[in-house]
Amino acid sequence: MASLPALHECDVLVVGGGPAGVAAATELSARGLSVQLVEQGARLGGAIHRQPATPGTAPARLAVQPQWARLSRAVAVAKLSAHTGCVFLGVDSDGLSLVEDRRSGLVSAVRVSAVVVAVGAVERIRPRPGTELPGVTTAGGIQVMLKETGRAPQGRILVAGNGPLTIALAAQLARCGNPPLAVLEAGDPLRHLAAVLALMRHPRLVREALGYLRAMRASGTSWQRGTVLSAIARHGSDLVATTIDRAGGKKSLIVDRIALHDGIRPNSFGLPKAAGEIKGTPFVIHAGDCREALGAVSAEADGRRAARIVVARLRGNAGDVLRLEATIARERSAQHVLARLFAPRNTANDPGDWHDDALLCQCERKSVADLRALLGGGDQLSPREIKLNGRFCMGACQGRFCADAVAELIATERPGTPRPGIPDLTGQRWPLRPVSIASIIGDRLASTAQEEK
Amino acid sequence: MNRSTFSWRGTPIPLREGESIAAALAEANILTFGHDGGGRELRYFCGIGACQSCLVKVEGHIVEACLTLASPGLDVRALDD
Repeated sequence: MASLPALHECDVLVVGGGPAGVAAATELSARGLSVQLVEQGARLGGAIHRQPATPGTAPARLAVQPQWARLSRAVAVAKLSAHTGCVFLGVDSDGLSLVEDRRSGLVSAVRVSAVVVAVGAVERIRPRPGTELPGVTTAGGIQVMLKETGRAPQGRILVAGNGPLTIALAAQLARCGNPPLAVLEAGDPLRHLAAVLALMRHPRLVREALGYLRAMRASGTSWQRGTVLSAIARHGSDLVATTIDRAGGKKSLIVDRIALHDGIRPNSFGLPKAAGEIKGTPFVIHAGDCREALGAVSAEADGRRAARIVVARLRGNAGDVLRLEATIARERSAQHVLARLFAPRNTANDPGDWHDDALLCQCERKSVADLRALLGGGDQLSPREIKLNGRFCMGACQGRFCADAVAELIATERPGTPRPGIPDLTGQRWPLRPVSIASIIGDRLASTAQEEK
Repeated sequence: MNRSTFSWRGTPIPLREGESIAAALAEANILTFGHDGGGRELRYFCGIGACQSCLVKVEGHIVEACLTLASPGLDVRALDD
């Protein structure tokens, strides 16, 4: 593999190699700015355009496939400098942008005029007992591996949660030869006539949805609407899923793999604040799903929009963003319709019903019971105290998979008080991803040696 | 197709070029990646480097198995190895 030159000073650092980041980087490059793109994975594409390891073995035809062909061509034309295997850590107090090269463990500190952050979305996962068991993953986690390998996981698969990604995954698994036994959906989209009609305004989505449902029906995957997965247990080498239907009826399903998905939210954890006005720090702008989770079409427009705003900022000439904002607005209205369609009808997974032994914080192994005990302790603890005393949101995921649920439970246990903000729970300082002390120190030693020369 | 392997906790595991350590372990039906310091069972979960549940040790560095390519001869260990 050819080694790229180390990260150096440039006009703009773009973080994230998905549709928003690539659109931003190619747009900036086309407008004459020097750009470096950093991507945590081994290849560009992000999650939605996760590339197959072997070119040409893409397992499922994506509705947005033409987008990636177009963006890849733009990358080649722009001769874009893309640093893969590199994780953006944030902007330090000296205004330097820190990037860790995961292969070497070295951290680079570079001065840039602007940073476009396009780190995508994360899935919401509600607390259920057994979520921490091996064999239980997110639906997106199965999707990216399927896109990378062209293969479905082995064994009996259950997909459960809420939202359109679950039926997309079911169809993709079917096309790879291992359809899931069932998709459990807490909502009931077919009953929501007004939302179904509203969806007609977005024909691309209607075609996609019908395609997924057809694939599911052809492969015998049942779509159990109004049904929640309430608990997972391990029995030998099997996973036993307990399901609750709208009438409260409980059933058990014995499977090998469970893919969970309760929605999508921006991966906005710990991001440097947008539009810094402080001298000596870069202008920061967020783009794509990490700013607002609206999917790939919006992400590309948002990336271009961010690029034009950066150009206007650095060069003084305003770039036109109206048409891009119209695209984003249209995708926003599509997401609103989807949210209405998939609104949960079965509330058996609401905070009041969360099992005491469900883990809220997988990283630190803190349960729903632990948080209830902390909240019932008499003192009105602040979000920060809840974190420091209870260790919630203090683990390696930095709140990505627990902060929403922690905030929800706090709001439920303290009716009448405002819901705690996520940044209050997680804190807002760099690094926005865990990094070893050795890596940070290594950089300081290297840069000190440079200065002494 | 390459018939190469990498090493997981001392055991040779087949790999396909361009695939992640997580993908290779999944194909070999290895679902548990040992335990972390807090006793948590590590395993593949989110696939996008966010959850930090799939951590493994590659040549002394702790990395996400879902983001790191498996390569021939690579020595991969669990955190508690």
